[in-house]
Amino acid sequence: MGQVAHYLEAQGFSTVTLTNTPEFHRQVGIPRVAAIEYPYGRPVGQIHDRDGQREVLLEALSVLENAKEPGQIFNLPFTWPEEPKKADWHPPEISPIIKLHLDEIKRLGAEARKAKM
Amino acid sequence: MTDSSKVVDGFRFMPPALRAWISKDIPDQPFGGDIPWTPLKKSIDETIFTLITTAGISMKADPPFDLEREKIEPAWGDPSYREIPRAATESDIEVRHLHINTEYIKKDINVMLPLTRFQEFEEEGIIGRLAATCYSYYGFQLDPTALLEKTMPKVAARMREENIEAVLLTPA
Repeated sequence: MGQVAHYLEAQGFSTVTLTNTPEFHRQVGIPRVAAIEYPYGRPVGQIHDRDGQREVLLEALSVLENAKEPGQIFNLPFTWPEEPKKADWHPPEISPIIKLHLDEIKRLGAEARKAKM
Repeated sequence: MTDSSKVVDGFRFMPPALRAWISKDIPDQPFGGDIPWTPLKKSIDETIFTLITTAGISMKADPPFDLEREKIEPAWGDPSYREIPRAATESDIEVRHLHINTEYIKKDINVMLPLTRFQEFEEEGIIGRLAATCYSYYGFQLDPTALLEKTMPKVAARMREENIEAVLLTPA
């Protein structure tokens, strides 16, 4: 989505990206980043939580209005109410690209666990 | 606007193995290239908005995003886009995405494409207005060439027809 933001800014549109993964900013450079620590697929908030969704969106609009130059990340102060394991954001089936690379992913996971010990 | 004590961890919800695999392509250093920038021309309460999401949302009347080809060619993602009228509701939409749980969006579209919330902001005078048309494409684009060269020019042209000035982008 960072590249789409680039494209739109270059075409004369102002953008703000409400993203769960601000880390990608280091890869692609996102013009205005409102970072939120919510599960993938629900960046605005929980279902039917009108007030919570409004708070997040008003913060994102505030980033749009107040960011003065590209390259800053604005971390929104919200905390998801469920433990990560309970957030159930993942698809019912492993995605094709993950399936293709599963051996490598498992190996990297084992290495990461070893490094932690 | 921000809480200096919070630094968002974009991998908090991801299993450690997946985190390690995705992180290996992300540089440690800040982005060094140029980032295009269009300053906001007016205050928010005078600005015309549209919304764009990567969640693979389409209207039931339109063809859905193509997931079948991706199942055969795992590095390919459908590069097309769909228009979502601002009055669209959960009963009007189809959601197709192989990388997230789409059930929440089908129950409340606002968690991904906040059409109702932006209509409220319009009524309350918080924004100038929400355009008639919002957009979805499909976020899995390992090679974004077709999306950027074929799809986005069409989206930008439609946005110009509707006098769009600012966009909220919500990647899935």
